[in-house]
Amino acid sequence: MGLPLFSASEDPGPSFARFAERAGLIDGAIGSASSTHATTVVAVRYVGGVVMVADRQATSNVIASRDVRKIEAADHNTAIAISGSAARGMEFIRLAQLSFEHYEKMTDSALSLKGKANYLSPLIQRNNLGTPLTVIPLLAGWDPSHQDGRIFEYDGAGGCYERRDFATIGSGTPFAESALRLGFRTDLDRDAALDLGALAVYEAGDNDPSTGGPDFVRNIFPMMVTLDPLGFTELGDDDVRRRFEAINERRTLSQGVAGGTLR
Amino acid sequence: MSNFFYVSPEQLIKDRAEFAQKGIARGRSIVAAIYDVGVLMVAENTSASLNKISEIYDRIAFAGVGRYNEFDRLREAGIRWADGTGFTYSREDVDARALANYYAQHVGDMFTEGQKPLEVEILVAQLGSALRPTKLYRIAYEGTISDEARFAVLGGDAETIKGRFVATQADLEPLAVTLHHAVSALSGPERQIDVADLEVCVLEDRGTRRAFSRLSDQHVAELLET
Repeated sequence: MGLPLFSASEDPGPSFARFAERAGLIDGAIGSASSTHATTVVAVRYVGGVVMVADRQATSNVIASRDVRKIEAADHNTAIAISGSAARGMEFIRLAQLSFEHYEKMTDSALSLKGKANYLSPLIQRNNLGTPLTVIPLLAGWDPSHQDGRIFEYDGAGGCYERRDFATIGSGTPFAESALRLGFRTDLDRDAALDLGALAVYEAGDNDPSTGGPDFVRNIFPMMVTLDPLGFTELGDDDVRRRFEAINERRTLSQGVAGGTLR
Repeated sequence: MSNFFYVSPEQLIKDRAEFAQKGIARGRSIVAAIYDVGVLMVAENTSASLNKISEIYDRIAFAGVGRYNEFDRLREAGIRWADGTGFTYSREDVDARALANYYAQHVGDMFTEGQKPLEVEILVAQLGSALRPTKLYRIAYEGTISDEARFAVLGGDAETIKGRFVATQADLEPLAVTLHHAVSALSGPERQIDVADLEVCVLEDRGTRRAFSRLSDQHVAELLET
């Protein structure tokens, strides 16, 4: 690639996606391909931030991978998670990460969280309406200008909606969402939000064949992150393991019954 | 009937060089120097928002003197080139030498073929890693590229400043000492530059991917006091 210089009228501005399109680095591939997919990712707001929990399994006709990372830090205080086509999802995360950094370097100022959320809309639209390899992301972050944790979910056409409580994406959504609907309160603290998120993914893993639960045999556990004034923090393995062990023990005592109280 | 005047290539180049030099000499200078664990760039800049020094990539920085609109376009093209290359291949494939060469070609083309030569002088700095050495590439208005060993001076009064800086440089020194030398080389013996009029940036490993940082006025003042 040569030095990408543009005249003032054709300048793509600080948008990396627009530049990449102009330079031919990305284009919407048309056609069908067998792809890995299926996920459960949840985001839960609490007083002082957002937690996100995601299972680790990638599924095609068989289990394709057991240790996929479906949540990534898009920048210091923003996380992006994906469901749908794994290949497209990974590219999507890369593009989003790079776009936010590109904007920051070009303009010497960071995008607002809302700006980041809106930026993803046309990317989703371009991908999903151009190929059968659909991707649905979930964006969550700590908004330093509002001093608040915020969650943005998307529909398949790129529509962006802010959620003030919780959001889920992926094939395990019905089960995860049920758990969240019953367990969510507006005054959750960090710890309670983490436990609720873990329970929601546990429920999804228990009922959706394409969502992986905690894997005590291989020591692979869902990914858990928090977004608060300190930024993006991923929980350590031991902490995550303890939370899922606790759920497992409760379920063992109730002989697998989830109802009655949230176990 | 129109008149055609013959202008010898020597004269043409000389005129263009003079034109570019004049433009560059109007602005303030920049000193870049390698210190013990990083690269320091110091610009005299009265504006707090129109930057002369900028981040290009994880370990690459840019500095420019002369006409702001001209070097800022080069800065933007550099960020695009670096992000585009890293996206297509891998982050570790983004090399300052390749970027410096592209800059040199473009600036050189503008010097010989453009409506007018670019009135800029730019610097591409790279912080070394296991893969690549620490480098300072200076690209002059006519497209010549030079690989500066320890420090580089951009701008009108470069030779004088260079002389002042050489006199103080021994081995690679810590940041505070190097900053001291750079600032006194920029100001000269008779003048003192206000901290608010200094733009100071460094490339240094801090355990994160991006090595570039812009030092606050307060931080610069503290470093200069020590």
